[in-house]
Amino acid sequence: MLKQAMLAAALSGAMLAGPCMAHAKLQSSSPAKDAQLTEAPKTLTLTFNEAAQVAVLKLVGGGKEIPIAVDKNAKASPSFTFPLPALAPGSYTVQWTAVAADDGHVTKGSFAFSIKT
Amino acid sequence: MELSGWDAAAVCAKAITYAATFGAAGAIFFLAYCGSLLQEPQRSRIRRLIGTWVLASAVASCARILLTAATMSGDLAGMFDMTFTRMILGAGEGIATGVRMAGLALAALALRPSPRFQPLALVGAALASMSFAGIGHVHALWPSVAPSAFLCLHLLCAAFWLGALAPLLITARDRNESQIAAVAARFGQWALGVVTLLLGAGAILLWTLIGHAAPFWGSDYGRMMAIKLLMVAALLGIAALNKLYLTPGLLRGQARAFVQFRRAVQAEMVLGALILLITATFTTVTGPPR
Repeated sequence: MLKQAMLAAALSGAMLAGPCMAHAKLQSSSPAKDAQLTEAPKTLTLTFNEAAQVAVLKLVGGGKEIPIAVDKNAKASPSFTFPLPALAPGSYTVQWTAVAADDGHVTKGSFAFSIKT
Repeated sequence: MELSGWDAAAVCAKAITYAATFGAAGAIFFLAYCGSLLQEPQRSRIRRLIGTWVLASAVASCARILLTAATMSGDLAGMFDMTFTRMILGAGEGIATGVRMAGLALAALALRPSPRFQPLALVGAALASMSFAGIGHVHALWPSVAPSAFLCLHLLCAAFWLGALAPLLITARDRNESQIAAVAARFGQWALGVVTLLLGAGAILLWTLIGHAAPFWGSDYGRMMAIKLLMVAALLGIAALNKLYLTPGLLRGQARAFVQFRRAVQAEMVLGALILLITATFTTVTGPPR
């Protein structure tokens, strides 16, 4: 009887488990993907679907990498904002690598935006 | 799904970690239920095999962490970036690897011929096998207690089955026909219950992971899971052949059954390795769809 009750409890526990998040995916960003801005953004915000840590962040514009300070020791969070240097008009690509806080899986992505004159 | 060279290397390291950990644990389990049927030179060979698997598991576990760090930067420098390593260890890999290392240290006691150390070695084998439940998609479920318990059961049963194959082959190599028959029959008795538990726990885990996502089978994760299930079905087919035809043939002393038994075990080893490789792939580079 006790064994059956324990098995029933374990099965119920397994079936009641919520959805597996695993693998941090970029939900939104500011500037947004393919945004055409009229003013240079002062910050870059990345919002993930779950708590993550940003391991690598590269901003490439005009064939050159523009340095962005990333605090690799920052606590895991669904959203990160990074200050940007003054950006000249042109096309930019953001490349990011994040580590999901709950399972350690590494995800990568990139998106582009442009600043018009 | 894109797979870089570093991703592929990290996946291979994970597959080797699975194979070596299950190999060591399964051989320790094998010595516990079949050891009395073996001669000392055979037990000694299996103990040396356990030593090799333990070492391989420890090295592959560390290599996997370094290779995952390399996937983050995309170059060799990432392997030596301590902030990357800290992120990986802090996200659960640290606890899982720590538990595995502690389990492997206890499992290494099986290298001593004295039966005094066998209980500790068994505990170590179980800990090392279950360490994979400390991180991953099932661990990321909420609440994760019950699914993690089923994953632990699934891992223990996988270690029991896959880890017994190399010791079975070592035994079969000696051409002691009555002994092979007795060992195969003993393994078969245990395997029936273990494989039932393995499949039952696997089915519950699969249901837990796909129950929330209708497009599961159309995703990369679902497609690779389907390939794994096909391979498991083939492995079950060979295991059934062993249990229903070859083992009775061995017990009757049929010469042909001994050759077929060795081939069947070798085929199971190849399929087992492929199953671990595909599991390492879909648990690393993809995730269940939401």
